[in-house]
Amino acid sequence: MSSRRSRSRRPSNSSRITEEQIVELVSKLQDLLPEARSRTSDSASASRVLQDTCNYIRDLQQEVDDLSERLTDLLATTDMTSAQAAIIRSLLM
Amino acid sequence: MASTPSSSSSPSPSQPKARKKPGQTTSPPPPPQTKWRTGTQERLYSRRLVDALQATRDRAQPPESVGSRAVKEAADSALAMTARGQSRWSRAILFNRNSCRKRVLVKAGGKIRRNRRKHQAIPPATEEAGTTSGVLKERKVKERLKKLGRIVPGCKKLPAATLLEEAADYVAALEMQVRTMRALAEALSAAAVSVPEEEEMEIAEQGS
Repeated sequence: MSSRRSRSRRPSNSSRITEEQIVELVSKLQDLLPEARSRTSDSASASRVLQDTCNYIRDLQQEVDDLSERLTDLLATTDMTSAQAAIIRSLLM
Repeated sequence: MASTPSSSSSPSPSQPKARKKPGQTTSPPPPPQTKWRTGTQERLYSRRLVDALQATRDRAQPPESVGSRAVKEAADSALAMTARGQSRWSRAILFNRNSCRKRVLVKAGGKIRRNRRKHQAIPPATEEAGTTSGVLKERKVKERLKKLGRIVPGCKKLPAATLLEEAADYVAALEMQVRTMRALAEALSAAAVSVPEEEEMEIAEQGS
């Protein structure tokens, strides 16, 4: 479609997102990632950051799955009232 | 707990009755790290999680066989509710759970048009965009953005800036979820170990 080419030549304020905005968001995302803290975080390419983000989110979701399984087993064997007491105790500490 | 007037950096007070309008507010939202790492959010989420888990257990079939998938869904729903509807992914999670009428809700969310997919399609020739905007028009970046959009719930067709914001919020929220669930699992397993001992002590006292 010809409209794609015209969009890249003609910046219209309503739909065009600033490049700086994107770069800022990417660096903000990068700060959240655990790997970025050990590496010199400047000038990491956006595609790398996005790739790391995808992997990190996937890892986190996998951890949530594992923890859910563990909680399922624990739930089956524990009585809820003592569990609540334990939780409140651990939260206050 | 008394509600204090919120400054710009603190998260919104936890009042379930007073719901502010999500989206276009005048003050900028707090960055994801500070928002999701406060103790308040963790406690709020833990309580909600425990309630959800208990409800799941009561709702389950009498043999009390709660599947791990049900636990995960309860955890995700609790997480989405803790986000207070301020992020798209949380709304997407909640709406997907409650009903399958996604199309109605997508339209109600506004500004998401199904026919606009062509505008976000990848242009095959990127040589001409070499001098204009740098990062955003690269093919690799666009592929990865699409992949990210598939992973974060409810973000398949968002523009890049919004998607990045949602992803940052989602990452921070997931981290909190993992932390809280792990703490809960630790507390439960500690309780499971100590409860039999307490019972034995009680029986011993009653016996003598």
